[in-house]
Amino acid sequence: MTPRIRVALLALAGVVLLPGAAAVITGLPPFGATIAQYGERINAITPEARHVANMVSAINFDLRGLDTLGEEFMLLAAITGTVVLLRGRRGEGNTERALRRPGRAVIPRSEAVVLVCRIAGPLTALFGLYVVVHATVTPGGGFQGGVILASGTLLIYLGEGYAGWRDAVRSHWLDGMEGGGALLFALCGLAPMLTGAAFMQNVLPLGTFRDLMSGGLMLVENLGVALAVAGGFTQLFLEFMEETRAADEPDEPGEESA
Amino acid sequence: MSVVSNILPYAVAAWLFGAGLYGIATSRNFIHLVGCLGVCQSATYVLLLGLGYRWGSIAPIFYDHPPGTPAVDPVMQALVLTDIVVGATLTALLLVLTIQAYKRSGSLDPEKLRPMRTGRGSGRAEGLDRGDSGERTAS
Amino acid sequence: MSAILPLLFLLTALSGTAVVLVRDPTRQVFVIAVNGLVLTILFDALQAPDVALSELAVGSAAVPLLYLVALMAVRNQLPGKES
Repeated sequence: MTPRIRVALLALAGVVLLPGAAAVITGLPPFGATIAQYGERINAITPEARHVANMVSAINFDLRGLDTLGEEFMLLAAITGTVVLLRGRRGEGNTERALRRPGRAVIPRSEAVVLVCRIAGPLTALFGLYVVVHATVTPGGGFQGGVILASGTLLIYLGEGYAGWRDAVRSHWLDGMEGGGALLFALCGLAPMLTGAAFMQNVLPLGTFRDLMSGGLMLVENLGVALAVAGGFTQLFLEFMEETRAADEPDEPGEESA
Repeated sequence: MSVVSNILPYAVAAWLFGAGLYGIATSRNFIHLVGCLGVCQSATYVLLLGLGYRWGSIAPIFYDHPPGTPAVDPVMQALVLTDIVVGATLTALLLVLTIQAYKRSGSLDPEKLRPMRTGRGSGRAEGLDRGDSGERTAS
Repeated sequence: MSAILPLLFLLTALSGTAVVLVRDPTRQVFVIAVNGLVLTILFDALQAPDVALSELAVGSAAVPLLYLVALMAVRNQLPGKES
């Protein structure tokens, strides 16, 4: 299929779909006029029913927790697919030392960069933990905080170099975090059934409104999601970086390998 | 003017989706193609959040405001939130597929990678020829 | 209040079109990061702070890094194969 035919088909599809799109756009409610009834009811009843202040976290972890379970496992499957594809080609031989990028000299880092990264790295990790823990009172939660934590480890990469980052991050803990988070979330669904309640029903004490420890089972699910997202994204970065190191054997400094 | 502001988010979402599709159809580089797919994804985010907005409402967080203040739709925000994070992971998976396709055939051009048929390579023949001649002249 | 939102929507359309029109992948990575930032501001103006946090962390830290490392992994092959 030549590019011309492809663009012609796309133009044809656009011409055919354009009246339908125009009809739908003018048929939707005007922007900003009203919101759906479901959202109204959730805003009205959830603060007393679940003692939480963040409606979005309540929907993600309690009211529609089943959807988040599916999304969680979608994340796990995508990361597993990535790891299988990359390691399947590279082999599972875990080298102890980080390999060098072929054909590039090693450039020393400036001390200002190292200092700033050493200050900013722990601060970013602390901020990520803050965002994770305040899931039910302020904007935040496992998804946001997990990604912030994972991108905080990139500051370690910037400051210490690839070998330092790999030593700091790659461990069995990392492998366990990602699967363990998803397992924790699934257990949060199964454990209430042991006490006779429904799947993922909020059986823990709900706490007081606007308190940090409010929401009951939501906090455990939030922790599971944060672990899975942080571990998963860090694993993703690690596998991607390993992919660029194509040397077959560790090489001596100063050697330019092709 | 008010008619335009009534439909603006939906029109912008449709425009972004169309632009993303055009980018996918006419792309000459697989990594550029994955970026255009991200534009299609952002069109859905804009549409969902545009549907959930109401003039004069607060965010659906009742920490500073008392419960009962008119707030925007939290369901749309919950949908988009998990979608963004999982979409980034799927972008990573697509990039890995791109890297693997490049390693097998030596090209990032969708035009050069034909579907596999019996009796024809997956574009590997052209890639290897290029590479072989390059190595011979280099050495 | 009612003048900012249409402006932000138009800016989103502009940056999304820019992502498609910039063909070189190395340059497109920066446009993707800028697009993520514009989307973050739009989501914040639409009273969605959770979504804005998520889009900021993902769209300016995680996704551009993945693109850059993918480009690095692809460029590694070139010295041996280019004629």
